[in-house]
Amino acid sequence: MAGWMIAAALAGAALGADASDRLAPLPPYGTAYTPTTVDERGLWQQADEAERDLRDSPAVIRDAALNAYIGKVLCRSVGEDRCRGVRVYVVRAPYFNAFMAPNGMMIVWTGALLRLRDEAELASVLGHEFGHFEMRHGLKTFRRGRTIGDIIAWTSVISPYSTLPVSLIQLHFSYSRAQETEADLMGLRYLTAAGYRPLAASRIWERLMAEEDATALGRKRRVTHHYSAGFFADHPTELARATYLRETAGADGERGDEARDAFLTAMRPWRATFLADQIKRNDFGGSEYLLGELATGHWTSDLLLTRGELYRERGNPRDLVSAAQFYQQAIDAGCTDPIAWRGLGPSLLRGQQAAAGRAALKTYLEKAPAASDRAAMAMLIGEGGVQ
Amino acid sequence: MNKFGIVAIGLALIAAPVAAGNRLIVPGQPVAVAKSMLTVTPAVEWNKLGARPGRNSETWTFDGDALNDLTFYGGIEPERTLFREVSKRNKPLPRVKATMLVTDIPTLVENSYRIALDTPLFTVEGMEPMAFAGKPGIRFTYSFTRPNEDLPRKGEGRGAMIDGKLYLITFEAPRLHYFDAGVASFRQVADSAKL
Repeated sequence: MAGWMIAAALAGAALGADASDRLAPLPPYGTAYTPTTVDERGLWQQADEAERDLRDSPAVIRDAALNAYIGKVLCRSVGEDRCRGVRVYVVRAPYFNAFMAPNGMMIVWTGALLRLRDEAELASVLGHEFGHFEMRHGLKTFRRGRTIGDIIAWTSVISPYSTLPVSLIQLHFSYSRAQETEADLMGLRYLTAAGYRPLAASRIWERLMAEEDATALGRKRRVTHHYSAGFFADHPTELARATYLRETAGADGERGDEARDAFLTAMRPWRATFLADQIKRNDFGGSEYLLGELATGHWTSDLLLTRGELYRERGNPRDLVSAAQFYQQAIDAGCTDPIAWRGLGPSLLRGQQAAAGRAALKTYLEKAPAASDRAAMAMLIGEGGVQ
Repeated sequence: MNKFGIVAIGLALIAAPVAAGNRLIVPGQPVAVAKSMLTVTPAVEWNKLGARPGRNSETWTFDGDALNDLTFYGGIEPERTLFREVSKRNKPLPRVKATMLVTDIPTLVENSYRIALDTPLFTVEGMEPMAFAGKPGIRFTYSFTRPNEDLPRKGEGRGAMIDGKLYLITFEAPRLHYFDAGVASFRQVADSAKL
């Protein structure tokens, strides 16, 4: 990582805005900020329209507690005055992503929340996205795009995930590599200033690299890890990001607050949903890696249960044996969710262990007398059946 | 070959996709569906679509498949997918397994839809035993939302594992009006299924 780049980025960040933006000196997060130039007005109008669509989308999670927590972390990391200019939307999508529109609409995907380990990491992602907003990257990209042609129009068509309203996908800004680096370093500055552990930022990218590799291996693809960014890449490679973030964090990168417990408490009500969405992606390698990563040597009952579901849903003969073991381990680890027995029973039945399978399903029916699949599960053990 | 012949062959080539296209299903007569031995006898007129979601499947509709979609899956073999796989490397679909129990069918449908449609908004609402073509089967209900639209849709499926192959009939439509308007005709078709 070139030192001058970091210096330039930090200097740019300190100024708050690029020298070319002299016409719009006010920060975009200010109260009742009005876009000043014709370009900026147009961009904000588009973003406002996308936000109206997103606001009513069924993909947005409206849980008050979760949204309040994310708002709180954003405010702690970028400061009370800045965070008021931002609306955060948590969107249900099982991939790692977060992005920021030029009008202060921030979007965080639930797959990112599942993959982050503590509050410091969440703060680093939110700080990074806020950096794009504060430095008006959307506007600069738009201007550059207009000069060099229709590149923006094309990149916006290639969206990795399409749960979002169409207008939002059209607004899917891809920032340039230099801007991403700038936002990364800005995020790091917020992280340090807020007293979070600065090394948190680099760890995210290290884990994402390993997960991508695991997905590729699981799908019998060549591990094509990007150690250098391609000509058309709009993000620096994960390796480059991990490295310069680690270097900039410096020797005392481990110091500072990580607030792991607060993060896990806030995510607890949603974790089962996020885990279920993950394994339904049919990405065996990536999911298996992620579960191991979340466990970090200590397999809790909810992770064991999810691992059982992952193996049972793939359903190869040896997977069914493993699935039954994981369900049993989850039960031994204190799992009280009837789903454990609902998974254990059919895994054993499919693995030719009829008596044990029937016993597990009997337990399920006792534990979940009002389940919507009760009659179907009862049929599997010969109680009731086809009319 | 004379000019007329060439023109005739050209016309035949152009006409071929039209002939293999959408077709009216006449009520009251047994008809084999989804390139399989599965036959059904509809009580009302349906339109069969020329486009198939996969190899052993077939779609019928009243007003277009966005408004009411009745799809037959006629014996999907083990290690095959429910629909045509768009990208085996990047978006692989779950595969049918010979050991699948009838209670695994809704999960297969759910995961296939989530991946193929790119939506996390899919819920299996409930399931209960129900005979399918005289064999032990399952009836299940679900709800989902396609990406890029906020329209809630409802679905109902009837399926069974017969000789290790998956037989399934699904009906789905927007929750508003179309599901309730068409579901009785779907149930009549599903009840008439024979193998």
